[in-house]
Amino acid sequence: MTLEIIGVTVLWTFLFGYLIVASIDFGAGFFNAYSLLTGRQHILTNVIQRYLSPVWEVTNVFLVFFFVGIIGFFPKTAFYYGTTLLVPASIAIILLAIRGSYYAFETYGSRGHKGYSFMYGLAGLFIPAALSIVLTISEGGFIEMVDGSPSLDYYALFTSPLTWAIVVLSLSAVLYISAVFLTWYANRAGDLEATNLMRKYALIWALPTIITAAGIMVELRTHNQAHYNNMMDIWWAFGLSFLLYLGTVWLLVKRRSYGLSFGLLVGQFFVAFFAYGFAHRPYLLYPYLTIYDSFTNEAMAIALIIAFIAGLALLIPSLYLLLRLFLFNKDYVRGKKDNHA
Amino acid sequence: MTDFLIFYAPFIVLIAAIVVAFWAALRDGAVREK
Amino acid sequence: MGNEEAVFYSRVLTELTLSFHIIYATIGVGVPLMIMIAQWVGIRKNDEHYILLARRWARGFVITVAVGVVTGTAIGMQLSLLWPNFMELAGNVIALPLFLETFAFFFEAIFLGIYLYTWDRFENQKKHLLLLIPVAIGASASAVFITIVNAFMNAPQGFDVLNGELVNINPLLAMFNPAMPTKVAHVVVTAYMTAAFVLAAIAAFRLLKGSNHIYHKKALFLTMKVGLVFSIAAAIIGDFSGKYLAEYQPEKLAAAEWHFETEENAPLILYGVLDNGEVKYAIKIPFALSILAHFNPTAEVIGLDQFPEDEIPPLYIHYLFDIMVTIGVWMTLLSLVYWLGVQMRWKMVQSKLFRWLIVLGGPLSILAIEAGWWLAEVGRQPWILRGLMRVEDAATTSGHVDTMLILFSGLYLVLGVGSIVVLTRMFRRNPVEQELEDRHATKGADIS
Repeated sequence: MTLEIIGVTVLWTFLFGYLIVASIDFGAGFFNAYSLLTGRQHILTNVIQRYLSPVWEVTNVFLVFFFVGIIGFFPKTAFYYGTTLLVPASIAIILLAIRGSYYAFETYGSRGHKGYSFMYGLAGLFIPAALSIVLTISEGGFIEMVDGSPSLDYYALFTSPLTWAIVVLSLSAVLYISAVFLTWYANRAGDLEATNLMRKYALIWALPTIITAAGIMVELRTHNQAHYNNMMDIWWAFGLSFLLYLGTVWLLVKRRSYGLSFGLLVGQFFVAFFAYGFAHRPYLLYPYLTIYDSFTNEAMAIALIIAFIAGLALLIPSLYLLLRLFLFNKDYVRGKKDNHA
Repeated sequence: MTDFLIFYAPFIVLIAAIVVAFWAALRDGAVREK
Repeated sequence: MGNEEAVFYSRVLTELTLSFHIIYATIGVGVPLMIMIAQWVGIRKNDEHYILLARRWARGFVITVAVGVVTGTAIGMQLSLLWPNFMELAGNVIALPLFLETFAFFFEAIFLGIYLYTWDRFENQKKHLLLLIPVAIGASASAVFITIVNAFMNAPQGFDVLNGELVNINPLLAMFNPAMPTKVAHVVVTAYMTAAFVLAAIAAFRLLKGSNHIYHKKALFLTMKVGLVFSIAAAIIGDFSGKYLAEYQPEKLAAAEWHFETEENAPLILYGVLDNGEVKYAIKIPFALSILAHFNPTAEVIGLDQFPEDEIPPLYIHYLFDIMVTIGVWMTLLSLVYWLGVQMRWKMVQSKLFRWLIVLGGPLSILAIEAGWWLAEVGRQPWILRGLMRVEDAATTSGHVDTMLILFSGLYLVLGVGSIVVLTRMFRRNPVEQELEDRHATKGADIS
């Protein structure tokens, strides 16, 4: 295993972590806003306060970790992606800021300023849309070199069906992941009403997720033949992912072990995400940038990997403690204990 | 001398200040209720 | 948009983001230590007031830290978005502390979540205080690591340039560059100082607005004492910074002090204005610049005459230097007089005027932080990486920076106003007198 592969695997893992925890967060915000519209707000407000408020900063760090790490391991990405992503990334930052401030301001502020809750909910849908554009761009065909510097062709980007397929996938995946998790969480909290509602949402969003995922495959076949062929070489991984998907849906339909159901869902996305990344290799940006020609020097790579291992040794016990207190502690989840400052 | 002031002394002052701050914080006799 | 415009707007947007972020970042670094001190004193003395003080500060901290996190994310991304050429180079040499900073912040965020949601959950208060230690360490460590990156921009080392290629890269040498110790220590210690004086301003304000509760008096005395300690430390470390500058970045020192000619027995110029290259109305302290630069009244100090015209930073940084130093000295004196006054039971320090001065000290301290950072950043011009890369070569070529500037201005306005509104509302609705009463009423039930 080369340093390049280790580096990109570390980053991809963190991006996957962000995908899951942020989806839960974004989706919950959207469902909350939606239930405000339909007058069922109290059902989700509780879950958001008890689970999302303590951990949103941790969620945010997964993203920061990814974009700082990618500059560290692959400095050339700053030149290509930094220049071209100014607009979508800036929009994502602003939307993230709205969400972050919501958690802080609403914890003590007046209960439920409606407009703010809507913005918070909608921001959760626009962020994945803005961020997923990066994946589209990485497939190539949207960046041209003008006078030696990269520039993004917005017209081509927004008229490409691939772009929209990925945007729709990101949205439905966010809602699907979130709904499955919240079904489990509400069930643990003993909140039957919320469980049923979230289970319904989960089943609604399951289908669009799988359809758009398949649609992207079809799009890639014409857009990026090389990537498509690489994916077909490991078709069995996507098949496995699909089986895990079926397992999740089956458990939801049968109203059985929601915890396992969420576990299968994480497995489904894990397999698909890594298979996609594996097939994307070695390109970071078709056709300009590979992990090999953009890689940092050896001294820095080794220093970063050592720092990463040392950091993990510190983080994993801490994360475990956090989850034990806010996710696996029955009294806390059921709202029996409130020890907020 | 100059090297010491540029490279080491700043951290010594910083750590000393933190220790002194904790110590000073304890000494609140002047504002305690009798 | 031509690239000159992109450079200009990139500079404005970065300056705006940093100027806004630094307020919340400074509070975010300093306040955890203040909470720790208060809670520690409370436990040591078994004094409920200090514990409640720590708790209420922690509540306010939630708001400021949130804004700090989101603006920090913004500046983190903007570095790559607005300065891609710089980040490409920097990524090769100085990525390690950036990476470590995310870990430090990760650590802080996890324990902050735990700390905030576990009040009264432990029989033994000391265990709860233990949870705060990683928060305080993480907060200060974030400042240390990110300041190391800034120090590297001032004194890059740890690599060689051979035919335009970076070779012999040593990430640790890059981190431990000559600018690092003075810069890191100064940033951290002034964050503690500013946090103390901002909290002191709040306590003084409550006392002015009619509350005469001993709680506020304890809070004021505590914060002013701690502020005094850190402001003295800040002055000492500031003096070391002068020695660093004289040795490694003489053009920055010379520009900040309006030191035009290389000479011995150099005087220090304070205040004054520049009129057609002539300094007017300034106070000249004989030998002081030589002492600041070399600890020796007769030492030679390099002046601006030693540098080509296009490598000299803008001379207006002298005013920023004046602002920073004046406020620093003023706050040291103010807190010293307050401390003496309380010990000696002078009536003067309980007067309205004196309390208003303390209230004013909060915003003044923040202004000093801003002036200090503007001085540090403008003083490095025209370089983004001193001696290696100029600012105009580092910027993006994207044509949308001006639009982004408008968007971010709007965002910071909302965040700034929002955080102030929420903070005042939070404490106004739940005054400390009320909370102390409630706690006494429910004390029996609280233990279960």
